[in-house]
Amino acid sequence: MNAVFARPGLRCVVVGVVALAAAPLLGRAGVLNDYRAVLIGEAIALAAAGLSLNLLMGHAGQISLGHGALLGVGAFTTGALTPATELGLPFVVAVPAAAIAGALVAFVIGVPALRLRGLYLAVVTIAFSYAMFESIFAAEQVGGGSAGIALPRPQVNTFLFSKEVDYLAILIGLFALLWLVDTNVTRTKIGRAFRAVRSDEAVAASFGVDVTRYKLLAFALSGAMAGIAGVMVGHLKLTVSSSVFGYERSLLLVVVVVVGGLGSRVGVLVAAAFYAFYPIAMPELFGAGVRGYDVIIGAALLVITMARNPGGLAGTIREQLEERRAGRERLADAAASGTDDADGSALPKLPNMPRPASLAGRPEAHGNAPVLEAKDVTVRFGGLVAVADASLTVPQGRIVGLIGPNGAGKTTLFNAISGLEVPESGRVHLLGHDVSNLGAAARCARGLGRTFQNIGLVKDLSVTDNLLLAQHTVAPYGIPAALGYAGSTGSVEDELHERAATAISGLGFERYANTPVGKLSIGQQRIVELGCVLVTAPELVMLDEPSAGMSPAAAENLAERLRDLRDELGRTVLLIEHNVPLVLDTCDELYVMAGGVIVANGAPDDVVRDPVVVDAYLGGALT
Amino acid sequence: MAELLAEVVVVGLIAGGIYGLFAVGTVLVYRGSRVLNFAQGEIGMMSLFLAWYLVTERGLPWIVGAVAALAVAAAVGWGFERLVVRRMVAAPRVAVSVATVGLGLLILATELRLNGENPRSLAGPISGRGWEIAGVIVSPTQILALVVTLAVGVGFATLLRRTDFGLGVLAAAQDANMARLVGVPLGRVSGFVWAAGAAVTTLGALLIAPTVQAFAPGAFGRLFLFGLAAAIIGGLTSLPGAFVGGVVVGLFEAGAGRVFAEATFPGLETLSIFVLMLLSLLFRPEGLLARSGGRRPA
Amino acid sequence: MSPDADVLLSVEGVDTGFGSSQVLHCVSLQVREGEIAGILGLNGAGKSVLMKVIAGIQPAWAGAVRFAGVDVTNVPAEARVAKGMGNVPQGRQVFPDLTVEENLRLGAYTMRRRSKTSYAPALASVWERFPKLHQRRTQLAGTMSGGEQSALAVARALVNEPKLILVDEPSAGLAPLVVEDVFNTLRDVAATGVTMLLVEQNVAAALRLVDTVHLLQTGRVVSSGPVGELDRSMLASRLGIGRLLGATTTAALRTRTAKKAAAPGKKSAAPGKKRGTAGQPRPASVKAATAGKKVAGKKVAGKKIPATKVAGKKTAAKRAAPAKRVAKR
Repeated sequence: MNAVFARPGLRCVVVGVVALAAAPLLGRAGVLNDYRAVLIGEAIALAAAGLSLNLLMGHAGQISLGHGALLGVGAFTTGALTPATELGLPFVVAVPAAAIAGALVAFVIGVPALRLRGLYLAVVTIAFSYAMFESIFAAEQVGGGSAGIALPRPQVNTFLFSKEVDYLAILIGLFALLWLVDTNVTRTKIGRAFRAVRSDEAVAASFGVDVTRYKLLAFALSGAMAGIAGVMVGHLKLTVSSSVFGYERSLLLVVVVVVGGLGSRVGVLVAAAFYAFYPIAMPELFGAGVRGYDVIIGAALLVITMARNPGGLAGTIREQLEERRAGRERLADAAASGTDDADGSALPKLPNMPRPASLAGRPEAHGNAPVLEAKDVTVRFGGLVAVADASLTVPQGRIVGLIGPNGAGKTTLFNAISGLEVPESGRVHLLGHDVSNLGAAARCARGLGRTFQNIGLVKDLSVTDNLLLAQHTVAPYGIPAALGYAGSTGSVEDELHERAATAISGLGFERYANTPVGKLSIGQQRIVELGCVLVTAPELVMLDEPSAGMSPAAAENLAERLRDLRDELGRTVLLIEHNVPLVLDTCDELYVMAGGVIVANGAPDDVVRDPVVVDAYLGGALT
Repeated sequence: MAELLAEVVVVGLIAGGIYGLFAVGTVLVYRGSRVLNFAQGEIGMMSLFLAWYLVTERGLPWIVGAVAALAVAAAVGWGFERLVVRRMVAAPRVAVSVATVGLGLLILATELRLNGENPRSLAGPISGRGWEIAGVIVSPTQILALVVTLAVGVGFATLLRRTDFGLGVLAAAQDANMARLVGVPLGRVSGFVWAAGAAVTTLGALLIAPTVQAFAPGAFGRLFLFGLAAAIIGGLTSLPGAFVGGVVVGLFEAGAGRVFAEATFPGLETLSIFVLMLLSLLFRPEGLLARSGGRRPA
Repeated sequence: MSPDADVLLSVEGVDTGFGSSQVLHCVSLQVREGEIAGILGLNGAGKSVLMKVIAGIQPAWAGAVRFAGVDVTNVPAEARVAKGMGNVPQGRQVFPDLTVEENLRLGAYTMRRRSKTSYAPALASVWERFPKLHQRRTQLAGTMSGGEQSALAVARALVNEPKLILVDEPSAGLAPLVVEDVFNTLRDVAATGVTMLLVEQNVAAALRLVDTVHLLQTGRVVSSGPVGELDRSMLASRLGIGRLLGATTTAALRTRTAKKAAAPGKKSAAPGKKRGTAGQPRPASVKAATAGKKVAGKKVAGKKIPATKVAGKKTAAKRAAPAKRVAKR
């Protein structure tokens, strides 16, 4: 039995089958009557719609205030296909058709969404909802006018699912399918990519996530699920008309998803159940006076949730549990050791990660060829030249430092090399290949790893999830396989988890494995970030001010770790630093930048004596 | 042909006046907080119900109803800022907007609870048949609406640019922390824009009530959405832009109404406005009258 | 009069942080009227957070902030400005879509609320001090260069006639030559008698300006004292000032302690390493930027070192007790 519960996919299937079979049986046994079955069916249909919005808003962070329109697309698709007066097609055809229609329409909204952020996207989705409601859905041909379209129940051979308890089985089955797909999304690279996009698109890109593709995927998947939910509710009520899919329905979905908890399936189910049962159950219990309060309560909860905890009820519960667990551990720590490593000067050794098997195709560094060559890179922002004709070579197995005063253009040059900035001119060659036209994600896939000044981690995700996300480019299963958790998906995921666990235990961070990274100290976050960079064994490790925020003692330890990187792990490193002793102790070669130009390059001891360099740092005050 | 055009222009300008008012309300809040208050339309509707109750049911003069409506709207806007927006200073702007969605829904649900779906009506402040312009009958209230929109727009623009407080509003929108660091009372500034935005929208609702003749909970959703479109097209950072955007939307709607008058497919005007807004966002996201070069809002 | 009579700002035992991570631990320091005090430390030491607590933007978890004798710990930032604090924040933060004049008018917000008539003379004196800003008074602040924005940020704080100016990392994001201009401006401003508290990462530039130094390391004050009492080894250990920057910093220190600046070539930093300065040939293995490109260092020759102006006043060389009184300029 434990084996069943340990594997989410199997769990989902088993529960689904059991519930599915239970409905008609209970109906026949007289325990579940048709009236109650309709209620449960409505809850399930609403929950299905909630799951679709949850995927878009909760997982991927893309706001949609017009999801009711997508439900309508699904409902009216089946309205065009299933009634005998139309094409008379069977239910099993209508479901995938509605999914495809929903995905297409959502995709159409998704394309402009790529260029719109937050508020603008919200307005567009509202306007979209209104436009559909007043125009497309209101048309006779589509929506059947005010009378709507009558829908038949599904029929298999001669068996007609006319009894509600029987149709409930179909609803449960479809819902379990959607639940399973959503589970597969969250436990594979798709979900991790979604959450990274939601949190910080630049960080996501530097982890190798193709932000455009995943945003569009989120819209399409969400639309498909919404389409199916539309079919579910349509055939339950036996009629669809445009009045059901207006702006109020969209808002109700937002309430369900946000109050239930953005990202939580269970929260969505609970909230949906509340909304389905309240209008019927409460007046029965408390009289007609309580009618209409469900929306009021929901709206008030929405406001409160946004103000206090956008994670919703589920988020609040999760945080409480996390707080309690963290509190217990703090007590255990305090009891165990008397000293408080307040400045975090002790740094664990960096894990030695072997090259992942799935990276066989990626070019490797070899021999004397330089790992990185940047030639005559110029970066311009409007009228300001941030970097002018900078050239840089990083030989294999060396640590190269890039130093210079504030505002010299070092990070901009880094960004041009890693693909976050597009230079006006110049080329970047990684392992002999010209990567100048590739984006950050593609360069990451080719073996370039980098850290950020502000710590390039997804702060909401745990240490483990960040390490898994860092391996995004070495997860070679495709998106369809991921949705079905089929093929090599399972074994690849196991391998990714193993590597993440190795890294975590190598760092000694076992007890932080499930802690959101944002809750760790700056020093600990930097270590996790280094771990993330190393977990895919990149050919070039680019570090942006790794010692920032560290005490001098910790920085000394960092110097040792950097030397380990080169000597024991055989990595090639390019780093930006302000801490000159650190640089002098670790680097084989130095480049000095000032005013956007590389003013010196050579062995550290020589560079340090160069009068041009001294002047650049001092601005000539020394005379 | 020329009469047709003139008719479209007249109808468009009149509608544009109201859309402009709604847009001014939206832009005010946006300039002050970088947030879109999606509940503003519903606040207007709620205040309108209050005015209806006082004027149509209780027989009080229109001006009393109007003042009461404006006061209540300002209070709701101010209260929401105090209780919710201020708490979300560090939150992403979208989150605050989602909270306003909740507020709108709350107001709508309460209206339904108290009033049911019964439509109500509120006559305008000036009675009379009005005049005929280019074949369209323009009522005195509609002219009043145009005048009021202009006055409100110009008034706020002056306030923002010429007074210290107004300058504080602009500064707070650009950089809230820095505004505090020069001594601008952020709380007061914020509260003011939210109250003013709600009041201006309510003014629009009061002035359009006679034209739509009957209103029920949720009826102004579409009108407010057109106001939003107007604000976006004209430029969310520009008050004159709100007015221009309103006129553009009004004219476009009137034009589309004429072009599609014979079409059997419903709601084509709404669809066209949606497409117009989408195109505007894609090709000129800062709006027609953007204030500064290339500074993309939010 | 007790020695504490001229303490203008007093920070006492302040703790603060974000969420569950604590950034400042029991931070205490005092700033006396008329002095220029500097808070130095590495990136991430908590310098800017401390400034935000003093300014009123960041709440303190524990401890107190006293300004001009009044406990302002729970007073919001806007009100502290009204009481006489001025702010030149990190990154200048001018209001980009407003003109220079509008930025200044905003700077004087609290003054104009008190009395509209004081604004005109205050503005006039700011124009006098910053003639370039007067020329550009209708220009949008966002279109100005970094150095011009720095001047505007300082002017904006100054126009309100504050008692204390808080300056947060004035050198951040600016080219070295511009940094010099900015520090000259700050020196001139301080010469008018206003008290200044400065946070800076560029140690050499800061040392040429300030009277008192507070060293911050991972959220704790590790030393406070007159600039004349700092020595190289303390700086090196507290700030990690290394062999490259050591020479500059030593030089800056020396000018502040009234010794003549060492002749070029005589400065010795780390044992055994020779230092190069202008005039010495460059080591052969160093590849320089291509000739003809403007290099930041070239414009250096002939610049007067303003520090000598101040050097005469700094007579505190080796001392036991830290100097408490600073002559009003």
